[in-house]
Amino acid sequence: MAEVILQDVVKKYGTFKVVHEVNLNIAAGEFVVLVGPSGCGKSTTLRMIAGLENISAGTIRIGDKVVNDLPPKDRDIAMVFQNYALYQHMTVFDNLAFGLRNRKVPETEIRSEVTRATQMLGLEPLLARKPFQLSGGQQQRVALGRCIVRRPQVFLFDEPLSNLDAKLRAQMRIEIKALRERVPTTSVYVTHDQVEAMTLGDRVVVMKDGWIQQIGTPLQIYNRPANRFVASFIGAPAMNFIGVELVEELGVMSAHAKDFKVELSLDQAAVLRKHGAKTVTLGIRPEHVRLGTPTNNTGSSFTGVVNVTEQLGSELVIALNVGGSTIMASRISPETEVSPHARVQMWVDGKELQLFDDKTEIAIR
Amino acid sequence: MTARFTKFGFDEKERFMLFLIAPAAIVLACFEIIPILIGMNASFREWSLVNPQRTWVGPKQYIAVFTDPVFLKMVLPNTFVLTIVSVGVSLALGLALASLLNRPFFGRAVVRTIILLPLTIAPVITATMMRWSFNDQFGVITIFLSYLGLPDVAWLSDRWPSFALIIITDIWIWTPWFTIILLAAMQGLPPEPFEAARIDAATPWCIFRRVTLPMLRPVIIVCVLIRAIDAFRTFDQVWILTGGGPARSTEVFSVYAYVLAFVDLDIGRAAAAAGIGALIMLFVGVGLYRLVNRSMEVS
Repeated sequence: MAEVILQDVVKKYGTFKVVHEVNLNIAAGEFVVLVGPSGCGKSTTLRMIAGLENISAGTIRIGDKVVNDLPPKDRDIAMVFQNYALYQHMTVFDNLAFGLRNRKVPETEIRSEVTRATQMLGLEPLLARKPFQLSGGQQQRVALGRCIVRRPQVFLFDEPLSNLDAKLRAQMRIEIKALRERVPTTSVYVTHDQVEAMTLGDRVVVMKDGWIQQIGTPLQIYNRPANRFVASFIGAPAMNFIGVELVEELGVMSAHAKDFKVELSLDQAAVLRKHGAKTVTLGIRPEHVRLGTPTNNTGSSFTGVVNVTEQLGSELVIALNVGGSTIMASRISPETEVSPHARVQMWVDGKELQLFDDKTEIAIR
Repeated sequence: MTARFTKFGFDEKERFMLFLIAPAAIVLACFEIIPILIGMNASFREWSLVNPQRTWVGPKQYIAVFTDPVFLKMVLPNTFVLTIVSVGVSLALGLALASLLNRPFFGRAVVRTIILLPLTIAPVITATMMRWSFNDQFGVITIFLSYLGLPDVAWLSDRWPSFALIIITDIWIWTPWFTIILLAAMQGLPPEPFEAARIDAATPWCIFRRVTLPMLRPVIIVCVLIRAIDAFRTFDQVWILTGGGPARSTEVFSVYAYVLAFVDLDIGRAAAAAGIGALIMLFVGVGLYRLVNRSMEVS
């Protein structure tokens, strides 16, 4: 286990910068997830840590060693690829042993390492098979085993579950989580799936266009997004955004939009007064939009017309038209009878709202 | 639903398919199947163009070919040596060149074009060029070799130098073919196993041997299959370079059959020789084809 430190790491292709001054300290044993949409630079960052891409500027340190110019084999890392990257002509055993054999590890030690990994991953019956005779989940398990046998300082995962179907993905997610407990190793995990990011990471790094948007624990990212992008990217259904005008009457600040008015808390009012803006963007998590009338004194109600309902069995999701804006409401009781085009009363709690600057899109706190 | 079958039992779709297949089938029948049948018939007859009696002689012609010392001691070994050495060396050189061209370097496009040039020249012209280049008195390569202080070699007067020249010419012609196909195959390989191998501390040679080659195996086998069949019937280079000489010592299968048919005018014996060649090619082809199938299954 070693810490991984990225200092002002830049990646350029020609003059085009794809990763901008990434600074990230990953503690020994920590599991960090890089998440973001396609093309945000998360895989490139991971590949720079692996040594599969050169860095254009900055420093990458693994443990006490600067690895900028070291080839992948000398960085003491192991990597799981999206499409498994197994050697199709070798048996599972040979796939697992390949890295150790190249490092001239004695055959008896190789056998014991392979046995340890296969027991851990339930691969014993598959040792003599070739990858093409395995299912996607089994192949990914072999790829994980290839990392485990090496006992590296750092595990790198490049969207390892993307090629699996939804059910298998959920199962493998649990397996990776369980594996973390048994093989505690510093890990960097790349995904575009926010569920993987939230469930696996000790910390989550949200990236966009090569820039780190926010680094934090899953709850920090979810509850206190740094900007509108992070707020919209994390959470399903995505956060609702409404452009509002701020109005202060008798010391009470409220946010107004067409057919929508919500009273803000005293703390929020103080922050907004300091910020000085007259209009802001309000962010409301769909699960914070509730059906009915407020049940506490910080709640504000509004009405909307039901556009669409989505019955998920465990919850009902409603898309509402509120003064021309669409607002999603989730976690409504699935037994609720709501018909399309009906006008319904909803409410939100002022304390649960997020506020974003209209121009910079940065959270106002 | 009305089934629209004709009295021949074909519905409209099947008739359309037959209509599409018909031109190719007619050409195949006229220029492949019928000549093969005529040839097979001829191989069991005394069929000299000088005195075309067409007497049925049974397997006599086959026995004559198999007991001909030229066939056994020259033609068969020459054909197999040419096939194995030419295909083997072309494959090795093709792999090496494809690996080289698969890496980015300045002027790669120019080098790739230059390497492909021999493939664009007709084998007859290449063979003529080689013949002059290795001419005993004024061939450029002969002069260059003697300039280097190497002993003079009578390239086209002795068996083995002549045969070596045939093989060199064949390799010269076919190496670009291997190169271009293997390069295309290499460029189509997924990068991840190679990246995994780099992380797994594999050396470049180990990556080539343990990752690249096995991944290229199906393409290599298909190339070898096609090329081996083609090399087995090599004619033009041999005919232009040595004409099978000196003293029939560089004759290969096609030249042997050609000489019997069009020099000795013995169509019956030539047909038997061609039939034997076809059978050998069939066995080699089926063996390699099975290998292809197995490796495709694995891939």
